[in-house]
Amino acid sequence: MSDTPSAALEDLKVLDLMWVIAGPTATRYLADYGATVVRVESSTRVETGRTIGPFHGGESGAENSALFSNMNTNKFGLTLDLASDEGKAVIKDLVQWADIVSESFSPGAMSRWGLDYETLREIKPELIMLSTSLFGQTGPLSSVAGFGTMGSAISGFVNLAGPADRPPVGPYGAYTDYLAPRFTVCALLAAIDHRNRTGEGTYIDQSQAEAAMHFMSPALLDYTVNGRIQERDSNRDAKRVPHGVYPTLGEDQWVAISVETDDQWDDFCEASFMPALGGNPRFDSFESRKKNEDSLDEIIAAWSAQLTAEEIMQSMQDVGVAAYAVQGSDACFTDPQLQHRGEYVEVDHPTLGKTTVEGSRFHLSRTPAQYNRSAPTFGRDNEFVLKELLGYDDEKITELIIAGALE
Amino acid sequence: MLSPYRVLDLSNERGMLAGQMLADLGADVIQIEPPGGSSARDEPPFADDTPGSDSSLFWWAYARNKRGITCDLQTAEGQDLIKRLAATADFLLESGAPGEMAGLGLGYDDLAQVNERLVYVSITPWGQDGPRAAWAASDLILMAAGGPLFIAGFPDGAPVRVSVPQAYHHAASDAASAAMIAHMERQRSGQGQYIDVAAVQSVPAATQSGILARPIGEAQPVRAAGGAMMGTLRARIIWPAADGFVSFTFLFGTAVGPFTLRMMQWIHEEGMCTEADRDLDWVGFMGLLASGEITPDEYERIIGVVEAFLATKTKAELFEEAQRRKLLLVPITNIEDVAQSPQLEARGYWHEMERPDGQGAVRLPGPFVRFSNQPIQYRRRAPRLGEHNGEVYGELGIDAAALVDLQAKGAV
Repeated sequence: MSDTPSAALEDLKVLDLMWVIAGPTATRYLADYGATVVRVESSTRVETGRTIGPFHGGESGAENSALFSNMNTNKFGLTLDLASDEGKAVIKDLVQWADIVSESFSPGAMSRWGLDYETLREIKPELIMLSTSLFGQTGPLSSVAGFGTMGSAISGFVNLAGPADRPPVGPYGAYTDYLAPRFTVCALLAAIDHRNRTGEGTYIDQSQAEAAMHFMSPALLDYTVNGRIQERDSNRDAKRVPHGVYPTLGEDQWVAISVETDDQWDDFCEASFMPALGGNPRFDSFESRKKNEDSLDEIIAAWSAQLTAEEIMQSMQDVGVAAYAVQGSDACFTDPQLQHRGEYVEVDHPTLGKTTVEGSRFHLSRTPAQYNRSAPTFGRDNEFVLKELLGYDDEKITELIIAGALE
Repeated sequence: MLSPYRVLDLSNERGMLAGQMLADLGADVIQIEPPGGSSARDEPPFADDTPGSDSSLFWWAYARNKRGITCDLQTAEGQDLIKRLAATADFLLESGAPGEMAGLGLGYDDLAQVNERLVYVSITPWGQDGPRAAWAASDLILMAAGGPLFIAGFPDGAPVRVSVPQAYHHAASDAASAAMIAHMERQRSGQGQYIDVAAVQSVPAATQSGILARPIGEAQPVRAAGGAMMGTLRARIIWPAADGFVSFTFLFGTAVGPFTLRMMQWIHEEGMCTEADRDLDWVGFMGLLASGEITPDEYERIIGVVEAFLATKTKAELFEEAQRRKLLLVPITNIEDVAQSPQLEARGYWHEMERPDGQGAVRLPGPFVRFSNQPIQYRRRAPRLGEHNGEVYGELGIDAAALVDLQAKGAV
């Protein structure tokens, strides 16, 4: 047992063929904790993640995407033409090297390239292979390709966000892409643990929609048990009132307030100095506040509009009432708690000089996350991967370059 | 997969998904509740809309596959039981306020003394320390603090959350991931460790890296009615169909442009756009917008053309043709559509289990991944209060008489 622990996953090797958000997010968790993740991409068919903002200085460009950089920090990059015979040969050598192969192409693509699990397990029987896609590898929708915005639409999330009297507006962006990766990480590491104990490999078929739906299980059960179809209802809550987002002084400035108990209600009234509320029988119990929630919200909104979000948040939290300024990227960056947590991490970047990515979302006391390299620029690690990891000599690498396989 | 391992789950509604994930993967997860029942049993909705200790559908979902025992952590006997259980466990999950467990003599340092291999995970709103660690929180508050709320909604309205609370599931699923990472290291080193999960740092995942706009020098993302802003123009994703709404990605570039072209070809075939509209450079369209060759007014006109076309078709018609033509279009479904999805049916997604209240069976969401060799199994419905006291404490060598004694002392 060593006194200075090494990275938690230092012996884990991942061949990562995934792209955009859902897949790469999962392997970022592994890379932060020391896994060697080799991310393969094409330099000619630019992966969509590189085309999504935010962009450095607001300038779009394949090496400028902070989304790409955030998803792929700590990984090694290899540019490769997967469709070429030479490229496939490199992939097969990497499979031999790797513990895990992960891919997020449209179902069937890996088979067409002759890189499906049945083929790859012949190279390495104890291989763990993950295929992640919107709807899974089987079923009538398996061939539907697309983005997490579509996964979030068809698994019910989009319909569940927005004011009740307007069209659905959904959570921001490709929502199921943010949920599925946590399930991916757990599944991959459980499969590694199983392999370590039994020597047995595994194929993992993940439908991102099926995984994400565990974030709304109670609503699904409300339908199957009670026959109720839950609908979007702005920021209303079954257990809390007032519970909403209220306008405050300034352009597009808002405060969120969440009151659960009668004691909190009394504290809210006292801290807000609103004579219309304290002792008013229309609002003196949860039931009465719920019944009169529309007018309660109007009263609070008229009050909040005279104050800053900061001062409301502070005065409420001083008395233990849950309130917070509704923070965009600007406010988050100066948030003392997010800063304290290490939400923002600066890393050196080959073309940008320095860039900022999100830190690990959790803290491990003995083997913390480490940030050793930025996301790869095109081909940055080709030599390292081919020489150091695969042991190719210069001649072989030159042949690959001439064949155009490293593009 | 994880059948050799034991998890003590002391968390409540703020963390229970973590234990569920490990339980689904096969771990022996013991949900530990106070003698009066977990606060998660009070989480709505309720079966038949009737609150009761065995009727919370939240509990049914997130206590599934776990055994359930009671233990009063406020008593010396209860604290001793937790220590004895911790000696047999691989993981411990808890979601108390910072310092709460340590105050009971059950903090990481205390339990590491009885089991140095223990991976101990704390899930809190704000983390264990920092200037706002003690602040009050809820789902909405965390979504406000961590960034996802500000960017969801209409530009002319207030930010909105997903109506089914999400923030603590972000934290809990991160907690499970973190626990597995520490587990892999523990299998090598023989040492456990302490993990501090803060929901406020889990929810920024739902900003799609938008939280980074400020530090990397781009204007912060704003609400775009479910779409995204491209400079001053709004990319449209949500559209009305004849009988509801669809998600259709009307975007451009090398990856998406060809999909957009195929939609325009369909619209043209049905006589609802001109050849000139159809044949615009959908791959290089962003350039046309940037150069001013397509003016904002012209862009809005084209949006109107697409909108008028989509409104003539039902969701089902649009989706059927989208699959045939390979379009980036799916229906925006409600809970009932999801529950009746032919895709989920074909994959045998739903799992039927006994209801915890004994009133027949219930269909639960299915496995979050499919393993080829060790499929996720639905072994146990959510436990009733104290259901496995005899079994679990019996495994510790506490016989029936001793258990009665502990009950008399109020410890279980």
